[in-house]
This record gives sequence, structure tokens and C-alpha cells, in this order.
Amino acid sequence: MLNSLANFFQYQFVVNAFVAALLIAVAAGMVGSYIVAKRLVFLSGGITHASFGGIGIAYFLGVNPLAGAAAFAVLSAFGVEALSQRMAVREDSAIGILWSVGMAIGIFFIYLTPGYSPNLMTFLFGSILTVSSTDIWLLLTLNMVMVAFFLLFYRSILYLAFDPDFAKTQRIPVKTFSYILKGFLALTIVLSIRMVGIILLISLLTIPPSTANLFTKRFNQIIFASIAIGFLGAVGGLLISYNMNVPSGATIIMVLVAIFAVAKLLRFLFVKIKLRRA
Amino acid sequence: MPKILEINSASVGYNEDIVLKDVNLEIFDNDFIGVIGPNGGGKTTLLKLLLGELKPSKGKVTYHSILPNETLFGYLPQSVSIDKKFPITVLEVVLSGLMSKKGVAGRYTSMDKKLALDLLSRIGIANLKGRTIGELSGGQLQRVFLSRALVSHPRLLILDEPNTYVDNKFEKELYELLKELNREMAIVMVSHDLGTITSHVKTIACVNRNLHYHPSNSITSEQLAAYDCPIQIIAHGPVPHTVLGKHN
Repeated sequence: MLNSLANFFQYQFVVNAFVAALLIAVAAGMVGSYIVAKRLVFLSGGITHASFGGIGIAYFLGVNPLAGAAAFAVLSAFGVEALSQRMAVREDSAIGILWSVGMAIGIFFIYLTPGYSPNLMTFLFGSILTVSSTDIWLLLTLNMVMVAFFLLFYRSILYLAFDPDFAKTQRIPVKTFSYILKGFLALTIVLSIRMVGIILLISLLTIPPSTANLFTKRFNQIIFASIAIGFLGAVGGLLISYNMNVPSGATIIMVLVAIFAVAKLLRFLFVKIKLRRA
Repeated sequence: MPKILEINSASVGYNEDIVLKDVNLEIFDNDFIGVIGPNGGGKTTLLKLLLGELKPSKGKVTYHSILPNETLFGYLPQSVSIDKKFPITVLEVVLSGLMSKKGVAGRYTSMDKKLALDLLSRIGIANLKGRTIGELSGGQLQRVFLSRALVSHPRLLILDEPNTYVDNKFEKELYELLKELNREMAIVMVSHDLGTITSHVKTIACVNRNLHYHPSNSITSEQLAAYDCPIQIIAHGPVPHTVLGKHN
């Protein structure tokens, strides 16, 4: 086992994959805790899928697909609010429209791109072993900015998520902070696409906080626990996928769900024992 | 008594609809003003004008002798729209009332926590400090929001129908508490309930597009009629004042 682990880590792409998994767990833990607490999961799903439109256009124009994805993700994160306010579309409908229109644009342009057609599956289902050192640097930068922001403004983030009307009366810049947090959400999504892909990404953001929420109701503890759970799921999934030669993205999600199921069972037993004692 | 604020012939409207017209009001330290008036008469709009959340289209609101590092307002809205499943504890909610003092990058000291805990004891919910808000009843939650409005020790406490969601037991305690707090701060309270108003406040403001200030807490039906301020009458047991009929 140790021998096979040593073998495993002799490849640079494997080391990259592990570093990326750690960094993504940190970013997804912070952003995921926020979107689960504030019920922005559907919006996050919309942003994730809309980013595929950017990937398609970037391929067509021959530029970096991540840049295209980032542009689409950030624009759709900011755009949903504008769309629902100015054009009087209800917010969930606006998200639904962005969701599928983004996918449609992506497919359209990828098929228009002459010559080599990139492997769609990579973006849809992820492939963490293709993580480059550029990706790692981008993830590291995003993480540093986000960790600093969360450490510095933790109270403001908590209160604006809980009760924005009251937060305004406390002179918290609710609008600006909401935009910044949506920007973080969009960039975390884009940089996580390599790991689990567009279709599976939403579970990476939602399962760890939901698991943590079974044991603690404190927002800061949910963030820390989500990071740990996310990392455990990513590393466990990677090892299993390597040994069984199955796609890593799907395996990571299945490990995360397994952790959730075990946690739920533990919680259930814990409550039962407590009831019996009482 | 030092003056806290005054409204000078202010008009407020949403789009073209004028909700308040030519309103004048002065508020001094230790005032206890009951705001009454029909639904849609502009009571909540008046509160938003006081709070500075709405700007008058005409006239002005002036704040007086505000000390540095003093919190001017504590505000308990009629209904707080929150997600009851949100992962936040009672103590954290109460501490959020200190954010304007602490700044956006605020942190809490043990002094702040002690302040919040003392307040929770005073409101009678110290035992709930570690609970998440989802575990509370409607009345308990209302007390938490009242604590949040009070924790910064505001100079003016603004309450919009504080008796809407509370149980009878707390309603009594609430008025006792307000009486006590009134020694330390001015209070403006909106209520539908004339019985409540007349037995607890010092002065009355009738709001129905216009504002008529009534410098005592007893008011007769003739005066209400003169103020053009038809309000819903709720008869109570031993109400110490006239129970009034409806008038047009």
C-alpha cells in the first residue's frame, strides 16, 4: 500500500491533483457554506452551467477556455439580479434561462469550431489529472484573497447573509459585499470545473456544508468542517479512482455522499441515545 | 431636555404618491411617543423618515447634538424577514446590533459579549444565548430582535407594533421594560391598539397623511375626529381612558 502510494506521488500530475484538491476544498468550503446558508444553491447551479457558454466561445476564438468560463460565470452571477429587476423576470426563471442558454451557446460554438473538437466530457465531468501549474497558481491566488476577505469581514458576511435589511442599518456595505461574494462564487466554480466538471460541481459546493450542518449550527464551524470534509472527499475519491481506474470527478462526489450518509447515520444514533438517556 | 431630532414640514412619497404631507415633529430625550393612525396612513413611512432610510421630497429632518460614538437609533421592525434555518445563534444575532460601532471589519471583545449577555438577562432570555434561531418560538425571536435593537444603547428606540407577535405574558413585561428603558432613552412606538398607547406612552402622534401631535396620553374621540385620525378600537378590560366609537 505504502509502496503504491509512493509510486502514485512520483508523477507531477498526481502531485498537482492533490494540491488542487486541497485548494479547491478551501475555496469550496467557504463559498459553499455561504451559498447553502443563504439558499443560493440554484443560482450557483445556473452560474456553473452558464460558464459552459464561455468555454465554447473561447474554443471558437482560440483563447484559454478558463478565461471564457470566468467571463461567463461572473457576468451571469451579476446578471441574474439585473435580469430579474430590469426585465421583470422572476429570479428562479432568470436562473433557469441562464442555465440552459449558457449550455446551448457552449455546444453551438464547440461544434462550429473547425478541426479538432475538444473533449466535451472533460468539462462536463472533470479530469483533475489535467490540472496545470497555472491552474494551481490561479487557485492559490483566489484562495489567499478569499481567506483574507473572510477573516477580515467574517462578522459582516455572517450578518448580511442572515438579515440584509438590518445589516444595512449597521452600515455594512451589503450591496458591494454581495457582489464580491458572488464574484468569489463564480471564480471558485470556474476553477473547480477541472476537478469534478460542470455537471457534478454543485455537490462539491453543497454536500460538505450540509454534512457539517448536521453537527454544528455555527457558521464559522460549518466553514472549517466543510473544508475538512471537502478535502477528505477529494483525496479519498482520487485514491479510489486511481486504484479502480474510474473517472475521478464522479468518484469524489460519491465519496462525499458516502461521508454525508455516514454522518447522517451517526447523527441519528446520537440523537437516539440522547433521547434514551433523557 | 436636549432635542434629538426634528422634522420640518417634510413630505414623503413613493413615486408620485404622497404618503406624508407637511409633517412636523420634534423628539427630545426621554420622550415616549405613541404613533397611531389608520392602516396606510403613513406610520411606518414616518419611522423610515426618522431613521433616515427615506429622504423627504420636501422639507427636512435635522439631527441634534449627536455625540461621537453614540448610537442614535435602535429599530425593531414590524416583521423581520429571515430564514429560520439560518445557522446563527441568539448571542450572535444580538451582537450584530453593535456592528455600526465596530465597523465592517469588526470583532467582539469579552466586554461586548458581557454587555449582550447582561441585556439577554434583562429581557429574560439569558438561557437561550447558545440556541440557534430555528429553535425559538415567535415570541422568543421577537425578544431576540428587541435585544439586537437595544444592545448598542441607542438614544432613540423605534418600535413598529412590538406587540404583534408576542404572547400576553411578554406583552406585560415588554411595557414594564419600556417604562424602565424610557428613563435612559426616548421611545417612538407605533401601535394599532389605543388602549396600549394611552396607558403607556407620554404623548401621541396621529398620523394620517398629516401628523397631529397631541402633547398628552389621553385623547378623546372629538380630538381624534378633529385630527382626522380614525383608528381601529380594541376594547380592553380596565382601560383607564374613554373607549371610543368609530367616526368618519
